[in-house]
Amino acid sequence: MSEESRSDKKGFKRRDFLKIATVGVATGTGLFISKETILATSKDRKRKGHQSNEVKPGELDAYYGFWSGGHSGEVRIIGVPSMREIKRIPVFNMDVATGWGITNESKKLLKGRYTGDTHHVHGSYKNGTYDGRYLFVNDKLNNRVARIRIDYMEVDAIVEIPNVQGTHGIFPQRYPKTEWLVANSEFQVPVPNDETNAGAFGKPKEYYGLHTIIDTERMSIVCQVMVDENMDLAATDYKGKYSMTTSYNTEKGVTISEMLSADYDYMLIFNWSRIREALRKGKYKWISGVKVIDGRKGRSDIVLRIPVPKNPHGVNISPDGKYAICSGKVSPTCTVVDLDLVDKAFEGRIKPEECIVAQPEIGLGPLHTTFDGRGNAYTSVFIDSTNVKWNIQKAIEAEKKGPEEKKKKEYIIDVLDVHYQVGHIMASMAETKEADGKWLVSLNKFSKDRFLNAGPYKVENDQLVDISGRKLRLVHDSPAYAEPHDCIIVRRDIIEPRVKDRYNMFEHPLAVVKSGIERQGKKVTIRMTSNAPVYGIQEARVKKGDRITLIVTNHDEISDLSHGVAISNYNINFVIAPFQTRSVTFTADNPGVFWVYCTNFCHALHLEMRMRIIVEP
Amino acid sequence: MRKLSFFLVLLFSVTSLAYAQWEFFEHRYKYKLSDVLEADRFIKKDLYWEGYRNGKIVGYVFLSKQLTADLVGYSGKHMETLVGMDTDGRITGVKVIYHSEPIVLIGLKEDNYKRFIKQYSGKSIKSPLKIGKDIAMDAITGATVTAVVQNAIITGSARKIASKVGILEAQGARKKRGLSTRYVPMTWKELLREGAVKNLRITNSDLGLKGDDIYLDLYFGLAVSPSIGRNVLGEKAYSDLMGRMKEGESAIFVFGRGKGSFKGSGYARGGIFDRFNIEQNNKVFVFKDKDYRIMTEIAAEGSPDIKEGGIFIVRGKEFDPASAFRFTLTLPVRIGAKKIFRSFTVEYVLPERFLERR
Repeated sequence: MSEESRSDKKGFKRRDFLKIATVGVATGTGLFISKETILATSKDRKRKGHQSNEVKPGELDAYYGFWSGGHSGEVRIIGVPSMREIKRIPVFNMDVATGWGITNESKKLLKGRYTGDTHHVHGSYKNGTYDGRYLFVNDKLNNRVARIRIDYMEVDAIVEIPNVQGTHGIFPQRYPKTEWLVANSEFQVPVPNDETNAGAFGKPKEYYGLHTIIDTERMSIVCQVMVDENMDLAATDYKGKYSMTTSYNTEKGVTISEMLSADYDYMLIFNWSRIREALRKGKYKWISGVKVIDGRKGRSDIVLRIPVPKNPHGVNISPDGKYAICSGKVSPTCTVVDLDLVDKAFEGRIKPEECIVAQPEIGLGPLHTTFDGRGNAYTSVFIDSTNVKWNIQKAIEAEKKGPEEKKKKEYIIDVLDVHYQVGHIMASMAETKEADGKWLVSLNKFSKDRFLNAGPYKVENDQLVDISGRKLRLVHDSPAYAEPHDCIIVRRDIIEPRVKDRYNMFEHPLAVVKSGIERQGKKVTIRMTSNAPVYGIQEARVKKGDRITLIVTNHDEISDLSHGVAISNYNINFVIAPFQTRSVTFTADNPGVFWVYCTNFCHALHLEMRMRIIVEP
Repeated sequence: MRKLSFFLVLLFSVTSLAYAQWEFFEHRYKYKLSDVLEADRFIKKDLYWEGYRNGKIVGYVFLSKQLTADLVGYSGKHMETLVGMDTDGRITGVKVIYHSEPIVLIGLKEDNYKRFIKQYSGKSIKSPLKIGKDIAMDAITGATVTAVVQNAIITGSARKIASKVGILEAQGARKKRGLSTRYVPMTWKELLREGAVKNLRITNSDLGLKGDDIYLDLYFGLAVSPSIGRNVLGEKAYSDLMGRMKEGESAIFVFGRGKGSFKGSGYARGGIFDRFNIEQNNKVFVFKDKDYRIMTEIAAEGSPDIKEGGIFIVRGKEFDPASAFRFTLTLPVRIGAKKIFRSFTVEYVLPERFLERR
């Protein structure tokens, strides 16, 4: 937002430049292209490039980036285009800095599981764009989906998914608003996968994949659609009609060679009105407490299977809602599916493969595709280590014209080398109808020599690319610790007004307004306020063996004035932001004097902010 | 107010040990009305006392808590102040009777606070007293929040009483005019020309520094008028603002360019913006971080790049967006090893075209 208006003020119209650029390509004459190049450089010199990624001290980024954290189990907030890491949101991990996994509130959500593998963060939608209410993120490791409240940037619900393993791709409903979210299982398993079904353990043909539908308000499971295929990435359309995925193991293989044996796998499309109908008509079985609908081939009309070349990966929908694009991974192509034809295929009027309108060759190892809202697609190409910009309409036209035309690859506009071996790729607002074609992040899986050598285990390299012009322009390298997979880049004006500076104190049922100690048998409750630089209680006497619950509310209203509560030698630390309440429960098993102190810098007398818990023998 | 009640609950409920901890920062002093006004008889009125000498009225004494309780200092608490004023609007004496400002943290003593307060005696409140101009901060340098709020308490309380007793013309009685709801697209240049956006340009020499370079180029205006707010803030920020305000509240925007800063850093600690405030009808409005939302650019066509900016909500119902107000900026200046304060005031009168038709 700021970049464009700022540059436009100086009289440069980027759109005008693009018009010229497009003319140059369309005519294809050397004269036009050289003119365009001259123009670009003279303008560039004037403006020091298409747009600036510099965010000076005191300035704010134009976009919130929400990054998954891979096997760190967290979500990260990164400012784009500065690429400054602003914050980490602990989700499926234990965070000793903030007490996530230590406080009673977070333990209730985590249920003792502190490992996680987050791949995909997506926002809640209204009418095809983000509404700024929630983020959702998957846990591939322990098969969970978490919801993050954007106002507090904190997890408020986690739903566990039964009957599945490898919960990989998730995607929220985009239209008319997010009520459902789909989650795919990448590893086929027996359903149910417990002692009641032990007979299937040794029979991979009796393993299944499940497409789980989650109610995003209640954070509960609506149903699961069971198929033979495995499913990795997920997407939903812009009309609220379908969800889709790619499957690389239609073979039901359990070894790599088995998984690679078939030349064609599938893109699967799930028909939501037919799912609703099956639910209405009771066409499901209860398995592990969840409604499971049979979506297997030949047994139901809920799933459409479009054959795509061998072991595809990633399905992304163009911002105009017209096309679903599958990447080939093992095939050097992308498959473009026309979503307007899908209903016909569901009705049996055309064959599933007739929904494919183009299969352009992109490069070796295409994985994911993102968009600029100007009709162009950007595909990450893993083996080649490139980002490839190509025009969707041109690819479709070339397909129509035939193989000779296709060979010319005129649909490819630019290829950018990235460093190294890109996984996901995401452009600003690209998963919405408001894709704006400003910035792109290439999430590269290897950094090799791009940063100071910090030992054998190396970080990832997230590269920022300026896509506002015709050519891709690499502008920044950003190290990322293990291991973001994907991200979304959301306009600041959507998120910023929603984010709060303080908690609503009484949203927490145990908010402390009156400090005090209460004993019931061996149970002791210490209720304590905190106001910089004083805790509401200076001394709490308990007996060895008492079960202590310590509840603390931060009464400081000033924004950013958070306190820590650390109990020496008791392995406890947590943070409370303004007006926040958190509690911990522990057994006072060691007699002695234990200083409780503030760990989060709060005041000039921060060091003096402490109290004692005296555990009498 | 809600904040205040929290503190009261807290004070009465904490255990005695913790209470003692809080008390460490608290200072309560005994007082007599004659501490601030020489009189032989005081007669209690609604919000003040009349002071008489030899049967003749010589002035007024009042407690700030009844007049400006919503002004709170660094501690989050009101500094209760006893003020005496003669019949001509001249301060005869001031005594702080309760405060919990943690001035000890910056190496100050109660004596410093008392010395700061002393300078009010003899000053006329017919025009609002300004820190850095009428009131020096030397005695409590560093405690800018305390000084700004204490000044607002004394000046605000005194001017309220002054208009009540007829020293100042009472202005509250006028019928309020509404703002025009019409939206007209306007460029930055037009907004400035119309006076919808006011500019305050402070050069080095204005501050007593060498050279004529611009030190701070500041722009401010009333954000709630559609033709001003929507053009300056942009559609989205304007509608967000309007949705965030409570009944009767208003808002201003402030933008700054150049080396200097109108925001300063005091608000990071105390939550109060200690470099600027606005004043209208004898009432001073200071802004807290709760009232503020950062702005990093101006939306209006032809506007300059800015270094910093914000929208500030004027809380309560007392501010009238249709009436004139004064914007005061107080900047600290380092001259050699010395830190001094300079004050600048600009009047803002909403141009007729942005008001409801009579």
